[in-house]
Amino acid sequence: MGQITLKKVRKAFGDVEVIPPLDLQINDGEFVVFVGPSGCGKSTLLRLIAGLEDVSSGEIEIDGRPSAELPPAKRGLAMVFQSYALYPHMSVRKNIAFPMKMAKISQDEQNRRIEAAASALNLTEYLDRKPGQLSGGQRQRVAIGRAIVREPAAFLFDEPLSNLDAALRVGMRLEISELHKRLATTMIYVTHDQIEAMTMADKIVVLRAGRIEQVGAPLELYENPRNIFVAGFIGSPRMNFIEGPEAARHNAHTIGIRPEHIDVSATEGDWQGRIGVAEHLGSDTYFHIHDTGLAETVTVRASGEVTLRHGETVFLTPQAEKIHRFDNEGLKQ
Amino acid sequence: MATTHARAAARLMISPSVILLLGWMLIPLGMTLYFSVLRYNLLMPGDNPFVGIENYQYFLTDPAFTAALINTLALVVGVLAVTIIGGTLLALLLDQPMWATGIWRILVIAPFFVMPTVSALVWKNMFMNPVNGLFAHLFKSLGLAPFDFLAQAPLFSIIWIVSWQWLPFATLILLTAMQSLDREQIEAAEMDGAGALSRFRHITIPHLGRAATVVVLIETIFLLSVFAEILVTTNGGPGNASTNLTYLVYAESLLRFDVGMGSAGGVVAIILANIVAIFLMRAIGKNLDA
Ligand SMILES: Nc1ncnc2c1ncn2[C@@H]1O[C@H](COP(=O)(O)OP(=O)(O)O)[C@@H](O)[C@H]1O
Ligand SMILES: [Mg+2]
Repeated sequence: MGQITLKKVRKAFGDVEVIPPLDLQINDGEFVVFVGPSGCGKSTLLRLIAGLEDVSSGEIEIDGRPSAELPPAKRGLAMVFQSYALYPHMSVRKNIAFPMKMAKISQDEQNRRIEAAASALNLTEYLDRKPGQLSGGQRQRVAIGRAIVREPAAFLFDEPLSNLDAALRVGMRLEISELHKRLATTMIYVTHDQIEAMTMADKIVVLRAGRIEQVGAPLELYENPRNIFVAGFIGSPRMNFIEGPEAARHNAHTIGIRPEHIDVSATEGDWQGRIGVAEHLGSDTYFHIHDTGLAETVTVRASGEVTLRHGETVFLTPQAEKIHRFDNEGLKQ
Repeated sequence: MATTHARAAARLMISPSVILLLGWMLIPLGMTLYFSVLRYNLLMPGDNPFVGIENYQYFLTDPAFTAALINTLALVVGVLAVTIIGGTLLALLLDQPMWATGIWRILVIAPFFVMPTVSALVWKNMFMNPVNGLFAHLFKSLGLAPFDFLAQAPLFSIIWIVSWQWLPFATLILLTAMQSLDREQIEAAEMDGAGALSRFRHITIPHLGRAATVVVLIETIFLLSVFAEILVTTNGGPGNASTNLTYLVYAESLLRFDVGMGSAGGVVAIILANIVAIFLMRAIGKNLDA
């Protein structure tokens, strides 16, 4: 079981309110991602759930039990830290065994779980090494191994991939997703990277300045963002925002249209502009279009072979049903 | 930088200081070695004949030597134990957030700045004196007979005084080490179910290993040659009860005016210090590897 309920949870450091009262329901077995820009309070929220920080007010219930009096170890949660926080003087085996040793689990059972975790995480060969002798990805796996063997009710990850290089990050992302499928344990995953959020989550929680902007499945957020912040944060490249007369024509203060929802043509279209930078990714090409009179730049996606060049004039046509309309407070209309 | 030319020039440039250092070290060492094989007593003027290892024989078979050797080791080990354990506890205390941390830290560090002679005199006259010392007053107020520390437990008293001087050093080094401990490691251990004691034992103590090694090595170098504290408190007595090797060498050469014997003692002390150093590096040197 790993059901976590946050009720009016508030956190302030001194006079600074980092997390205004917040409600959130995390269901058993869900992969929930907290995503938001740096400094928005993601780690703080995770640490509140872990019990490493005390809530200023409100309540966190784990499997229906209020956790206010429970120390971190008694909450049945395992955390993987951004710095991995491995114990440098212990071998990989001892690192993984440490939580079990503290829980006084029998030696046989310890060995069994270590072997199982090590083979699942490809660590068998490294069990007798010290963390200092491992690569970043291997250290990450040791940290995950140390979390798995506790058989926790939920896993907490705090930006676990941010210290890895890009290729490794994609690999570890898959491994963590597979781990979740296999264990079917609740996972709460913090990241500032919306791609990680989109690819891994069952449920994304978008945070800004400690406030929940929107909660939903990845595609729900993509297709139906509740406000400009979520619309701009989810999706890559970013959604184009257009204000002024063009927005007024759609009865909105601001309209948003994603690069992939604009048709590009050399001959005709609603909007006209000049091609700036072109980013060729092979499968797709992204053009930054200037001088449209709508916004500084409009990003568009053209798929497959494109013959357009820098400086040429192009015509753009937004797909009418994909236009998002926002009022003057940034809320979706 | 790495061209042959540059390296030759670099050697030339540093040679004056190297030569000066070598001279500084080698000339006294050579003279000590030379005196140690002469019969050279200032009370018996005349020629100083070569006597081979006679001085060494006398020095090593002197009962005072065995006593001094044991005292030296006891002093080193005793002070190391007190400063490492006490230093760790004090560092733990100073690492806690508390009121006026800066002032506490300065107070703890202060003894390090007091000269050995001064601190030994303060302890001797103000604390340990059987008539006027604070301890005597304390004992008397409790209805006990005053205890004459320097006469009845001379080595213990000296260990105490020297520990008091070296405690700040150990505390300081261990405190900086403690402050460099990654907070996330502690939090990870906390989540892993380790209580405060387990965290201290499994995380903090191993983390302090390297710093403690540095403390042990540096203190040992200085503790092997403790002298001023003995001179101003017990004069090595009663009997030889608080004589260490350094003091024995001093007694031989400057109280009995036997330069040959003193030099032989000096050479023996050097050899012993090296044995201790090799032993220490073997035992704990691996802690210093990254
Ligand atoms: N222990 C603390 N004391 C004071 N302020 C803190 C503390 N921890 C975090 N903060 C502040 O809380 C805000 C959120 O921090 P954090 O949760 O680490 O953000 P994120 O993980 O989303 O980048 C930041 O403005 C940070 O400065
Ligand atoms: Mg963070």
